[in-house]
Amino acid sequence: MENTSQVPVTVLTGFLGAGKTTLLNRILTEQHGRKYAVIVNEFGEQGIDNDLVVDADEEVFEMNNGCICCTVRGDLIRILSGLMKRADKLDAIIVETTGLADPAPVAQTFFVDQDVADRTKLDAIVTVADAVHLSSQLVDHHEAEEQIAFADVILLNKVELVEDNDIVKVNDRIRKINPFAKIIKTTRCDAPLDEIVGLNAFSLDRVLDIEPDFLESDHDHEHDDDVTSLSFVSDTPLDMDKFQDWFGNLLRTKGQDILRSKGILNFKGEEERYVFQGVHMLMDASPMGPWPKGKDRSSRVVFIGRDLDNMNLKEGFENCKSA
Amino acid sequence: MNADLEKLQESNKTELERRGSIFNIGAPATEAVTIRDQIAVGFGDGSVRFFQSGSDPKTVKAHKGVVLSMTNYEDHVLTGGDDGRFLKISSDGNIDEIFNFGSKWVDCVASHKDTKVCSSGKNVYIWTKNKDKPQTLEHQSTVAGLAFDNKGKRLAVSRYGGVTVWKLNNSKWISSNFTWKGSHGTVTFSPDTKYIVTAMQENQIHGWRLNDKADLAMRGYPSKIKSFTWVGNTPYLVTSGSSDAVCWPFDGKEGPMGRKPIVVANGGKELATFVKALNGEKAVFTGFTDGSVLLAEIDESKKPIMIRSSTGSEVSTIAISSDNSQILIGDMKGSILLSSLWVDN
Repeated sequence: MENTSQVPVTVLTGFLGAGKTTLLNRILTEQHGRKYAVIVNEFGEQGIDNDLVVDADEEVFEMNNGCICCTVRGDLIRILSGLMKRADKLDAIIVETTGLADPAPVAQTFFVDQDVADRTKLDAIVTVADAVHLSSQLVDHHEAEEQIAFADVILLNKVELVEDNDIVKVNDRIRKINPFAKIIKTTRCDAPLDEIVGLNAFSLDRVLDIEPDFLESDHDHEHDDDVTSLSFVSDTPLDMDKFQDWFGNLLRTKGQDILRSKGILNFKGEEERYVFQGVHMLMDASPMGPWPKGKDRSSRVVFIGRDLDNMNLKEGFENCKSA
Repeated sequence: MNADLEKLQESNKTELERRGSIFNIGAPATEAVTIRDQIAVGFGDGSVRFFQSGSDPKTVKAHKGVVLSMTNYEDHVLTGGDDGRFLKISSDGNIDEIFNFGSKWVDCVASHKDTKVCSSGKNVYIWTKNKDKPQTLEHQSTVAGLAFDNKGKRLAVSRYGGVTVWKLNNSKWISSNFTWKGSHGTVTFSPDTKYIVTAMQENQIHGWRLNDKADLAMRGYPSKIKSFTWVGNTPYLVTSGSSDAVCWPFDGKEGPMGRKPIVVANGGKELATFVKALNGEKAVFTGFTDGSVLLAEIDESKKPIMIRSSTGSEVSTIAISSDNSQILIGDMKGSILLSSLWVDN
């Protein structure tokens, strides 16, 4: 349910030294006329001093709900519910994660905890990437790959230190992992704040923004555990029962390897578009109004994850087409 | 299912609302405790206000942000805030800062006689009489709940993975772990101190029998349990988290093991968010998501009484004065109802 009083939460990820603290300091010191609370984890890395900075320990809790990869951030549940008791209304909350953190538990917290979901909403996952070091970090640390894979926005920072053709290479490498994130090239994280905070990227409406040209993915990659993306389009309407069976089973059995999924679906006999957006095994789905007149009613799905080639995704999706 | 609440709401204002006073504070009421004939309430603007029948509340500017936790201590209240301060406050407005944890929140507080306790992060700090420096008890994850037993000999500390029960032995605290997978929040000892019970991150409560650590899993709730209270001599542990007040019997050798709870005070489509025993009676006040409050006996055949009608904001706290004469109800919008419980008053 959409609730206008929900406070948007931006999750900020990125490797140590990529520029997260620079961005946080900008958010806290720039005259933007808004009230932001910032939840930081690497306190002391570079002093941030402000009333609305909350010091937290990342505490990843396993949920006892039968969902095997379901972990949440216990500290976030506690802090967000505390912040929601404030008398003054916050315009947004920014959560910094440590350099080596897996973004999944943060995102899952917003799907799993009812109080958090009622009063706040996951706005976007923003990843700050170091244009100089990203390529080597992607080779050495699977966390770097995950941070790129989960992102809705990627600030490709420190571009001033990199040759133009190397920026193109890094850009292509990011695109292979994550075809739908918006990439902003920055120097000292100098992107306008309204391109970072208040994006509504997790809103189901925004799933409709998946651009068709992202849906051409080539997937030659070096290792089987590389994070890649796959996408499919169908002009034939899908059978709702078949899709639900296939997709439900897919998330249950392969959800650990599917980092994110998004899609717009055209079901046979349904006037409305269906959209969904998922993180691992958890997902949100709902009808999203009628198809625009004069436009193709094509179904589009995108998966980002590991080992996607061994999930028979293409075959599974094709089998959902209505007879 | 009989939706007691929907039927009762047809009659607009309740008797208690008509004879009581309503204060709009404008910040969520977070905690309320009783000190003698006053009721102290902590708010989301950092203030603590002392309410007393027949006069305006006294306001104490206590914390910078939110009053996260509060308990009574002799003639004072102890409060913990998101400004990192652990305070002792008197009703005439004197503030004594016991400790300042800086950027770490003071999430939980507890007291027994002259012992003051708070938690911040993974540690519990205990101040005993005449000692300036606290004793520190360490835990593996952030402390989410604190409770003393009625003699003050044992302190239960809830956290991820279970509860640590600390026992005072020759002025040393010895720990014992009670384990159950998942994250545990608010914790309580049964009045006979045979059981400890926690509210979990999952929609369930969990209990242990202290002598043999036997587990009691109480499930089936549609939402998280935020509040519980011990009622009557049986006693019943009454909990929020459902469309009724759910009452688990803790009598006999086995307590609620293998037994069904009694459900009273049906809220229809509203969920119970706060429960509070009426001292000395087998009856409980139940506050709901829409701000309404019912008083019900722990007896499924009896009709509940409407105490407060809907305000549109969930009930976040209820307190009863120590002589059972006054009730205070607070909600997330900061509306406070203070009223006498009985017509004679």
